[in-house]
Amino acid sequence: MTLDTSVSTSGLGRVFRGQTAIDFYGKRKVGLVLAVVAVIVTVGSLAAQGLNLGLDFEGGDAWDIPASETFGVDEATDVLDANDVSTTGARIQLRSSETSDVVTVQVEELPRDKAEAVTADFAEAAGVTVDEISFSFTSSTWGAEITEKAVRALVIFLLVVAVFISLRFEWRMALAAIAAMVNDVVVAVGVYSVFQFEVTPATVIAFLTILGYSLYDTIVVFDRVKENEGRYASTKMPYEDIVNISMNQVMVRSLLTSFSSILPVLSLLILGSGVMGAVALREFALALLVGMISGVYSSIFIATPLLAYLKTRSLPPSRRKRLLGDELRAAVMGAGVTGRIPEDTPHGDVADASDGDRPLEPVGAGASGPTAPAQADRLLSHPPRPRKKKRR
Amino acid sequence: MARRLWTSLIGVVLIVLITLGYNIATDNTPILGLDLQGGVSVILAPTEPATEDELTVIRDQIRAELERQGIAEPDVRVQGETIVVDLPGVRDQQEALSAVDVSGVVELRPVLNPESCQPIDTVPTGPVIGTPSDDTTDTTPGTEPQGVRRPVAPPADTVPGDTVSTETIPPGAVNEPVPTQFVDPGAVILPTRDGGAECLGPVQGTGEVFERGSAQPTLDPSQGWGVSVDLRGGEGRDTWNSLASQCFNRAPTCPTQRLAIVLDSVVQSAPSVNEPNFTDSVSITGNFTQSEAEDLASVLNRGAFPVEVEAQEARTVSPSAGSDSLQAAIVAGLVGLALVLVFLIVYYRWLALVIVGGITVWAGMVFSMASFVSGWTNYALSLAGVTGIIVAIGVTVDSYVVFFERIKDELRNGRTIKNAAPRSFKMTWRTIWSADVVSLIAAGILFSLSVGSVRGFALYLGLTTICDLLVCYFFTRPAVLLLARSKRMATRETVLGMKVATA
Repeated sequence: MTLDTSVSTSGLGRVFRGQTAIDFYGKRKVGLVLAVVAVIVTVGSLAAQGLNLGLDFEGGDAWDIPASETFGVDEATDVLDANDVSTTGARIQLRSSETSDVVTVQVEELPRDKAEAVTADFAEAAGVTVDEISFSFTSSTWGAEITEKAVRALVIFLLVVAVFISLRFEWRMALAAIAAMVNDVVVAVGVYSVFQFEVTPATVIAFLTILGYSLYDTIVVFDRVKENEGRYASTKMPYEDIVNISMNQVMVRSLLTSFSSILPVLSLLILGSGVMGAVALREFALALLVGMISGVYSSIFIATPLLAYLKTRSLPPSRRKRLLGDELRAAVMGAGVTGRIPEDTPHGDVADASDGDRPLEPVGAGASGPTAPAQADRLLSHPPRPRKKKRR
Repeated sequence: MARRLWTSLIGVVLIVLITLGYNIATDNTPILGLDLQGGVSVILAPTEPATEDELTVIRDQIRAELERQGIAEPDVRVQGETIVVDLPGVRDQQEALSAVDVSGVVELRPVLNPESCQPIDTVPTGPVIGTPSDDTTDTTPGTEPQGVRRPVAPPADTVPGDTVSTETIPPGAVNEPVPTQFVDPGAVILPTRDGGAECLGPVQGTGEVFERGSAQPTLDPSQGWGVSVDLRGGEGRDTWNSLASQCFNRAPTCPTQRLAIVLDSVVQSAPSVNEPNFTDSVSITGNFTQSEAEDLASVLNRGAFPVEVEAQEARTVSPSAGSDSLQAAIVAGLVGLALVLVFLIVYYRWLALVIVGGITVWAGMVFSMASFVSGWTNYALSLAGVTGIIVAIGVTVDSYVVFFERIKDELRNGRTIKNAAPRSFKMTWRTIWSADVVSLIAAGILFSLSVGSVRGFALYLGLTTICDLLVCYFFTRPAVLLLARSKRMATRETVLGMKVATA
């Protein structure tokens, strides 16, 4: 049998072999501080400068310019660029009927004199007089009703999800998952407020995407916590340890998933909006990028520590120290996924690693390398054997 | 067992291929949104000067009505003195004009005895079929006219019938030359929705008596489908109650006890009034079907237009996001996807071929479903939707990562691949299922309760999630399990890039 139990000597190797022993719970304060900072910055920025709401929310200026062979959408864009008017949130369309074609340009509201200057430039570019261009104020398309209904739907959604997670897992997990999700959306909104990016309906969709992604990610992590909870039920393992073990076990998955989710978004940002010049994609992709990074971060540094905190408060205090360093590593590796260990061998192999009867060896968190394999071997005194072949 | 796995694997691939082939053959592709494909724009102008607030109210009402008709994500705004309605997924200007023809004003007219509509020169000698005054307890609208209807002379033919043109008819204008001929001056004959006709008195109120947007279909176990609508406080309630008491007491102005709700000179419903006085809300019941109740509710809501608007012109609009946006999104998405797949192949070696196959099946399924769904519901795929699908790639890849990492864990613990795969799938399925159900809840609630682009987002979120679950269970599971039990796997020394115990 060629079972590979040696601990990789390189950090990356350990990550990909699921041999990490990071004390996530011990570092929870760092994670929470960052989250709190992000929330404070967002709230401060929202209070100070609010959001830069785009055309669809606040309305703006609109021009109807007669189109001709020499004046179309591209020429109108050039005029806006020349006048230093942002075209990211602008809507420039060709509207044609049997009788006439017009180019409709809608931008965020401009100061009066600037709007007049732009009108004059449009007239010049289109080769018409200023009077032939109709200039008017255009209202928002996103009515209060849409926001109202969306907010109501979101509130109901959060309640239903809270109930679902409470039933499927437990209410503490629901609370933690929703807290993490709120954090992610706040961070994304914060980026929009701090940098004053224009908020369009697409941005709102991006925020909703982030919300869904964040919950999804947290639930995958919590599912492992829940599974380990059952596995260690008979060993009275402190909840912090369970959380730490689970986090280390799902770390590879989290890294791989975030990498493969973020890669397409990066491609949208760099290739789509950068190289190919589709400006409409830029801020949308940016919001998604920030939200996804935050989503992965919050699952690890907000949701899980919060869960551990809530859970330890509800349990009698444990007198044992948390598993750290190689012991944690051994638990992470050994605990693997060997299904029914607790039921089959309640005082068996892996459980021994943390059993209170055995004096804990003081192993420094930094210790790794040569001693680790021995440790792991000792703790895994009975590596599970492959089952005998059965006929099916 | 193996046979079932093969059936599932081949079945899902075949189904996806067939639906994809069908969609491609029939050129059935998802409708693209205004930002990607453009659409048709209709400009509406009020018939009389309107304030900005009134225009805003009309804007919201038009959007609500369009959404109700199933035209998704219209872009409605007030521009200057006009209302501009941009419709995605509509290529035909005529279709667009009829879609936005939601501008009529609802009128309330008492229903008169048919004698009142007797032309003045012909003495009512003919047999009057039925006695209209008898149907007091029956509130069934639209069924009585057959009994009340008289063989009417020319006037009925001049009544605008099926063709509801974009020009709106001022109250009574169409019948202006006619009333002098009637016994009862001011009476008109208007057609009902089901082809009958009613003799009606003059307009006594408009849809303004109802609270804006408060009408909704209700289902009462004893009375079936009905419509409940709130009265607008003050003037609205007074107008309604004065009318109601006239009808309830069978005053000469309303001898039949029935009150007709008229839109664009067509009687929508003519319920009898069973109470003289209403405080807050009115409930209209009858032998409605669900869709009739919904239509009536919509008519009542529509009647709350503060001013009439009429269509001025229709134009086709070009995509607002620039024609290159979709192309850029697709190219960038494909490049991103290719990078992800390359990365996964490097990481998981040849087992990643399952991922490549799975993602292909998933993409085909999403495309087919999006085509069908947008055909049924008129939901357009906007740029936000396209990027949402690109994000969904990440979530879909996650189910493979969770699965394969779990297999690796099991292998590390000394299991054989054949043994590890089914166990791993069981645990993975639990995880994926839990996480995806949350997405489905989000999709369901946002779709049913919100409007506009949020609704479109919910639709595509639900769609990609369902495809993820289907592919995971019907493709990935059999593919990996079959590979795991194959002879080649049993003798391999490395799986997923790691050494394994060989049985």
